[in-house]
Amino acid sequence: MAVVTRETRTTRSPVEIGLGKTIYAFLSSIPTWVLWILVILWSIPTLGLFVNSFRFRDAQATSGWWTFFNDPNGLTLDNYTDVLATQVGGGVGNALLNSLAIAVPATIIPIAVAAFAAYAFAWMDFRGREWLFIGTVALLAVPVQTSLLPLLQLFSGGGHLTIPIIDKTITFFPDLDLSGTVTAVWLTHTGFALPFAIFLLHNYISGLPQDVFESAQIDGANHFTFFWRLVIPLSVPVLAAFAIFQFLWTYNDYLIALTLIGGNGANWPVTIRIASLAGEFGTREHLLAAGAFISTVLPLVVFFALQRYFVRGILAGSVKG
Amino acid sequence: MDRVIATLVGVGVAVGGSALIFIGANKLFDLAPRGWRWFTTAIGATTGLVAFAILWGNRVIFQREGMPPEWVWLLLAGLVGAVAGYLLGSLRDWWARMIVGAAGGAVLGFLVGLNMRNVILVVPDGNAQREIATPIPSINYGELFLWVGIGLAVGVALWAVRGRTRPLWRGLVLWATVGWLFGAFLTPELNTGLRSNAILASTILGLGIGATIGAWPLADKQTHDRVESGSRKYIFLGPALFFIAASLVIPSIRTVILSFLDGRGEEAVGFANYATIFTDANILDLSTWTDIFTSSLFIGGVVVAGLGLAAAWFVGRARSETFDFGPSNLSLVALGLVLIAFAMFSILRGTIINNLWWVFTVTAFATAAGLAVAVLADRSRSESFAKSIIFMPMAISFVGAGIIWRFMYIARPPVRDQTGVMNALWVWLGQISNDSTDTAIVVTVLTLVVIGLGYISFRGFRSGVDGVAWGSIVTTLPLIWLIYRFLGPGLGGFEIVEATGEIVGQPIQFTSERPFNNFWLMVVLIWIQTGFSMVIFSAAIKGVPAELLEAAKVDGATESQSFWRVTVPQIMPTIGVVVTTLIVTVMKVFDIVRVMTAGNFDTNVIANEFYDKAFTEFNFGVGSSLATVLLLFILPILVYNIRQMQKAAV
Repeated sequence: MAVVTRETRTTRSPVEIGLGKTIYAFLSSIPTWVLWILVILWSIPTLGLFVNSFRFRDAQATSGWWTFFNDPNGLTLDNYTDVLATQVGGGVGNALLNSLAIAVPATIIPIAVAAFAAYAFAWMDFRGREWLFIGTVALLAVPVQTSLLPLLQLFSGGGHLTIPIIDKTITFFPDLDLSGTVTAVWLTHTGFALPFAIFLLHNYISGLPQDVFESAQIDGANHFTFFWRLVIPLSVPVLAAFAIFQFLWTYNDYLIALTLIGGNGANWPVTIRIASLAGEFGTREHLLAAGAFISTVLPLVVFFALQRYFVRGILAGSVKG
Repeated sequence: MDRVIATLVGVGVAVGGSALIFIGANKLFDLAPRGWRWFTTAIGATTGLVAFAILWGNRVIFQREGMPPEWVWLLLAGLVGAVAGYLLGSLRDWWARMIVGAAGGAVLGFLVGLNMRNVILVVPDGNAQREIATPIPSINYGELFLWVGIGLAVGVALWAVRGRTRPLWRGLVLWATVGWLFGAFLTPELNTGLRSNAILASTILGLGIGATIGAWPLADKQTHDRVESGSRKYIFLGPALFFIAASLVIPSIRTVILSFLDGRGEEAVGFANYATIFTDANILDLSTWTDIFTSSLFIGGVVVAGLGLAAAWFVGRARSETFDFGPSNLSLVALGLVLIAFAMFSILRGTIINNLWWVFTVTAFATAAGLAVAVLADRSRSESFAKSIIFMPMAISFVGAGIIWRFMYIARPPVRDQTGVMNALWVWLGQISNDSTDTAIVVTVLTLVVIGLGYISFRGFRSGVDGVAWGSIVTTLPLIWLIYRFLGPGLGGFEIVEATGEIVGQPIQFTSERPFNNFWLMVVLIWIQTGFSMVIFSAAIKGVPAELLEAAKVDGATESQSFWRVTVPQIMPTIGVVVTTLIVTVMKVFDIVRVMTAGNFDTNVIANEFYDKAFTEFNFGVGSSLATVLLLFILPILVYNIRQMQKAAV
């Protein structure tokens, strides 16, 4: 980069000669200006939420957040203490726990399941492997909406199948009364995550060097040992990439939780909780900013701490539907 | 605190349990070559447990009065299975194996028969109640023996067809058992039988299955190894395929089936649900299409796009190219096209049109903005910081983003201060355009900028740098328009009260003023998705070979030429990926609309319509057909992506 800059300075381009030094310098600085303007534009909404979350109720309602240094009473942490207290905020703290109870299993279990499957697709020989793999990955783009309704029925009443000719009903999934629980949500997330996870991990695992695998086979290691001792340690970067992607995805999900948990407020994750807080339009509106900010703290921390892996996951999996 | 502990325990059980099952299954099959009898013991125990668990889940086994609860029988079945498994894994003698197999099966069958449910269950089914018959058969011996006879005949026939290579009796035992299953359980009337019938039917069934297993000779060393190595693919793939089938494949098929049934999912109605969707004026209303061509948006769009094309043509002519798209005239053409599209989408109405509007706008803006930021940041010293900020909304939930933008869009009554950034700016514009001093300052500044741009343009023309010259002229156009607004009709949100001549700030109801409230909702998703496309474009741009750009420079290409002639063709596949991914994401948009307007004020989209129909009105038929429509919209993109993926894999 530095070399290029020096070159342009020593050999002045015809454009620069034609326009004169000042105009050329001004025009060349425009991209930087535009970039900074975009950065400011992009951060204003979040900044506004952040500042508002520390302002008193009256201040929020009567003046813009950019006037916060004029607030007569200064800033406060009351919104945060109120919104975290169980009764007042409608249980945002509780909702955070529920979000974790969904996001943690919905992150770890698909990783394990998908790592095994990706390994099988990459390194095991069996008939129909290619078609099974294409079929699995093809499900990437199937929208969640397409399976939500039957899944809700499955979780609330179990799965039953009436065999046509002999007219007997078989239960293949018992009625475990899972509707309204976080278990139903993470089970569903696990299923939805798998095509993407298998795709992502398969790309990586199938790229591991062949000779490592062959030498292990000569040493008499079976698939499980090989997988456990070699493939998993070597795949840590891609596992991390998927984990962050999946964690943010499940933590931020609204539709699946809303459908499967429904009216059972005690099990609401934080997205539903703050959405319902936003729907109230009433006495607790001043808590909304604090609630929304709390709900985004964890993803933002994960994001800024592990951005490198997140970007890698996005780059590798940019076909996700 | 209790919640914390309960959550931790729940998560621990879920994660630990799955890990144990996984590792346990692998360790179990590790046993096969080393300790065959222990392997068969474990398999026997698992078979007994799982079989009873399935029967329990199907309510075939049910706690009877005065009997121990189901789980006791479950454990007993596991024990019997373990003993039988151990013996079958060690005994070599044919008779001993047969006896152990038959006896083990018979005992398990007896346990089932003993515990078979003899009460009719009443379960809720929607608003009604449904009775579940008992599984106890009322055996008709004539039919039973007929079925067994058919089974025997099938066994003989298969043996003959397969060239008589396998022992005949093994097939006979197997097929007689299948015949028994049909005659004893699947065909007779259930619900009315006696306990003795239940015990007889299930004991003989168990005996047959057990004998079939016992008839296999004791496995040799080769078989042990084959079982070990052959099992892995099932263990490795099984859980994934199970989850995918249970949560994606089977439910999707069921949704398609439900879309052809009535609202309660009972009677077939053909395409009636689809007809309902496409004739509903709220979902699709094309009746106003003639208004498009007379709308100011459409005419403005044609003019602007024409201007841009003309500018590009003038510049291109100087370089003996048809068109030359620098940043400014390209923006003009793009703006014109966007205006024309907006004319179309804002005049045609309905949920489906809204969805298409979303797809067009968010995909176009997020792709363009992402590409622009990637290009701009690529030369910048603070690249990673700028990219982090633009990328950050990707980490925020759609719900959170909806709330964040609610604060941006909020409209307070005109008499009070505006607390949302957008309306505050809008009303502030209104104030300065009604204040003569402010207007004078603004107009002076704008005029100076226009004069400056004019000078740059003059220098550009004189030295033959047409791109810069035309770009500057084009940039003056919106500024001149601004000067006109400030001097003439005014700009921004204000209203003059006729009686008093007082000027009152007039905010915009961003989320409820139709039809452009749709656009303000789309801005939220653009804000989120620009980071996504920026990250991908940024990586792609860095992947463009430096020699190519260097060569273009040596050949005297301008910045815009090397961008359009070198960079863009190089990153074309990436553009395809970004556009398709965005289309799929935007097609399913739900959360933002749900949180910000709940689909009111003409902002409904398919996913929200689906949610309302399926889970608020409980109309499963129409809900499922909306989901199917969504799937059909996405299907072509799915096919395209798979093609691309296969190409990339090769």
